Amino acid sequence: MVSHLEMLSSSVHALGHTVDLLAVTDRNVDPRLHGGIELLNFVDAVLGGSASEISVARSALRSALGWEATVDAAGVIGNFEMMNRIADATGMPVGKGRRRTSADMIDRLGLARFDHVAED
Amino acid sequence: MAFAMLSLEQPIRDDLVAGLRRDWVRLAEPGATWTGMQRISLAAHARAARSGVSLTEDALSATAAEAAAVLGARPASVRVGDVQKWTEAGLDPQSYVELIGVVSRTSAADSILRGLGAEPEPFPAPVDGSPSGEVASDARYRRAWVPMVGGTSIVSALSLVPSEMNAMFDFHGPAYLTMEQMADPVFTRGLDRAQMELVAARTSALNECFY
Repeated sequence: MVSHLEMLSSSVHALGHTVDLLAVTDRNVDPRLHGGIELLNFVDAVLGGSASEISVARSALRSALGWEATVDAAGVIGNFEMMNRIADATGMPVGKGRRRTSADMIDRLGLARFDHVAED
Repeated sequence: MAFAMLSLEQPIRDDLVAGLRRDWVRLAEPGATWTGMQRISLAAHARAARSGVSLTEDALSATAAEAAAVLGARPASVRVGDVQKWTEAGLDPQSYVELIGVVSRTSAADSILRGLGAEPEPFPAPVDGSPSGEVASDARYRRAWVPMVGGTSIVSALSLVPSEMNAMFDFHGPAYLTMEQMADPVFTRGLDRAQMELVAARTSALNECFY
């Protein structure tokens, strides 16, 4: 998560957009990204919703951003279903340098609770 | 043909379909340490566990079946003690790394299909043959729980078993981005890069993956 929050910050800056990173962990927060709410609803439905909830979220995302974007979103979800498992199963640590540079974000989003492989 | 996805509202891009099909071909073939039958059993245990079901069959040891089920359904629950326990019970590091590759990619394929409204793809028929035994002899334990070639990095996480590392990259490109595309913060396909990263970060949050 830390890695992709950093990439989200970088891409938003490069694209001239804005985003509220807190939306990643708090669904009461608007991400302020075009189609952001529909994307978050789609992720939540695919990872934890029923078939009908996924269908509703997919239709909303398709209306907001189109079918090609919906396919991309499904692909990205799938990719991180893979990468999250690889990271967790291999005990992939977040290095001390990245922890320092991302310390404010880790604190603000309360990410430390997910840190299963903290190094000494 | 696998991944016909005839129920979809519209076709999906060719490179993503090709990536899914390529992975299903790999799934059925003997790997470095597991036979084709065993690889499919690993995937089946993981898929069943995600549905809250336990499988009972004897293609795998109880340890391998447990590891596949845990990694399939509750990856954030894995701790170093689990890996040590599985290793002591006979699941050697190269077999564990191949298991991670198989389970992680089939979990990914299932999620893509679920998101797009397609049924889970039936598992392919296993291809006969013996495992290749091909592992990286220069892999070493460093800062992670499995040996890796070079430094401790997510891109080398499966490097103990080169065929699994290659399969990961082959999936990563069409599903998300290639390594070259990742270097571009404004890369845009159906989603722009920021939208992709929002999806990646939220998926990781729900999976409770700190990395």
